[in-house]
Amino acid sequence: MKNIPLITVTGGKGGTGKTLVAVNLATMLKNAGKKVLLVDGDVENPNTYLLLNGKLENKTPVNFFKPVINKEKCSKCGLCAENCATNAILHVKGQYPITFLNLCSGCKLCYKICPEDAIEEDTKILGWTYETTSNEIDLLIGELKPSEARSAGIVEVLLDKVDEILKNNEESYDIIVMDTAPGAHCDVELLLGKADMIIPVTEPTRFGELDLQRIIKLIDLLEKDFQVIVNRSSLLGFKEEFLNMLKEKDIEILGDIPLDDEIVKSYCQGVPLMEKKGGFDEEGEGYKAFLSIYENLEKWITNTIQNKSQRSAI
Amino acid sequence: MVRKEIAIISGKGGVGKTSLTASLASLAKKDPDLTSFILDCDVDAPNLALILPAENEKEINKQNTYTTLKAKLIEEDCIHCKQCIDENFCEFHALSWDEENDIPQIAYLACEGCGACKVLCPEHAFEIEAVKSGEIISYKTKLDPQLVYGETELGSTTSGKLVSESKEFAKNNKEYENTDLTIIDGPPGIGCPVIATVTGLDYIITICEPTPSGLHDVIRAIEVVQQFDIPFGIVINKADLESPFQEEFKEFINNTGYDVLGRIPFDLQIAHAMANAEAVVDYDPQSKASIAIKEIYKELKNSLLS
Repeated sequence: MKNIPLITVTGGKGGTGKTLVAVNLATMLKNAGKKVLLVDGDVENPNTYLLLNGKLENKTPVNFFKPVINKEKCSKCGLCAENCATNAILHVKGQYPITFLNLCSGCKLCYKICPEDAIEEDTKILGWTYETTSNEIDLLIGELKPSEARSAGIVEVLLDKVDEILKNNEESYDIIVMDTAPGAHCDVELLLGKADMIIPVTEPTRFGELDLQRIIKLIDLLEKDFQVIVNRSSLLGFKEEFLNMLKEKDIEILGDIPLDDEIVKSYCQGVPLMEKKGGFDEEGEGYKAFLSIYENLEKWITNTIQNKSQRSAI
Repeated sequence: MVRKEIAIISGKGGVGKTSLTASLASLAKKDPDLTSFILDCDVDAPNLALILPAENEKEINKQNTYTTLKAKLIEEDCIHCKQCIDENFCEFHALSWDEENDIPQIAYLACEGCGACKVLCPEHAFEIEAVKSGEIISYKTKLDPQLVYGETELGSTTSGKLVSESKEFAKNNKEYENTDLTIIDGPPGIGCPVIATVTGLDYIITICEPTPSGLHDVIRAIEVVQQFDIPFGIVINKADLESPFQEEFKEFINNTGYDVLGRIPFDLQIAHAMANAEAVVDYDPQSKASIAIKEIYKELKNSLLS
């Protein structure tokens, strides 16, 4: 069986460059002749396709349970409302129950316990997934519908699809790169839980430090392997303190990326800095930084595959 | 002034929510027309406290929250009928059968605490218990106004509920009664913590930067705000960023006719202020960014009073 390594790019703090890193790593892996799947798990704000100038194609709705009350059958007993943990059903004595769908967790308890079978199972759209190819990188994207709250529901569907790919088409990809939302909530946790290798992208600021420490705590809880990328590494002011903190905590650094106008340019053009066709300055600070990150990443991937095959041999 | 509650959100992370909140908090404090209260609802990454530390470390009040519910098996009541698995009680895939011990096992992180297993089990062999979901921290800041913020327990899957709890906690604070203006630092994204943050507020500042993802994400945040029918204004951060995207961005702003509260130019003093753990309006009041933020504060006050 082929061992496909899964890399999750995360960061805790917002705007540290997670998507920038995920997209450029995927590009460099592709440049090296690898077949790459890039999964955009930042379903609240999926941006990978913007950075790849891609289109959202093959839209598939993610459906979610929606209780519908059949008034012909309903005896107005109120059992559904009484047992609803998220208060998504309100019952006033003598009245038909009223549903508040954005509070519904989808546990289906109301549907299962109604003594009159008066609750019917319908669905609403929670969001969508997209499958597209851009710059020879396959993209699997999740998107939460604005005003819906349960983003983890979309991430679960993405991960089911990843499982499907791992199971059925094990020859099709060499590597999977996943991008996460900022923060350390359930969406992020699911994507970290799936990973073999985690790359938290951080910046040498007080905010960066605090949020990195939180995400590392979560990674440790999940007992995963990680190495950080320090973005905007030429930002001074707090850098020394920041690097001391990394050293003290024995945190491995995969590489750092200095501030570079070429990065901003590539970002706004929707062409990854590391895309050969982009024609970006190969002597630039950002470009060289990514090359050096890739060198370290290759070694790490080789080790990870070795460990994975050893584990599966046992 | 009638009491107003506002939040700063952005969709995209890292575009300046906390920096702007800290500066607005400082300006509100110096404003003789009103008293203010500060709340950080970015419970996954509460950073505002770095800029607004406590006046007196000994007077930091911490309180555990128990907004997370989890199912627990009462082993002695289980008759091993396996109905919970066979009839798929749990929609969240948190229940599986432990063949060795012949009992159901509960995946802690997957469990949503909905109580379906408890209600449906014929032997009542499940119970629901509240577990620690985070902390709510409150204190008087060195700037004087009270700060309240929530911080999630990692792995508690409760961000939205903790946001609501933090807002409730703030409202029960005795300082809150005499407050005219509550300023809330919001979480990134558009999901459950953001919805919990904006619910019931009077005004929202959506901050963004003129990049493709900055625009894409703020549009999504605005969609959420509009669903709740809350008035909002846009603040453009790094407004003078040299970017081939500027034209498209300007076109969007012109076409939608959305209210622009102000534009903050790119200014390294913001980064320096942050490195110094200060709001930029205090660190360098004459900087380009500070002047712009003072204008934004004025506009904000006008919007709230109108």
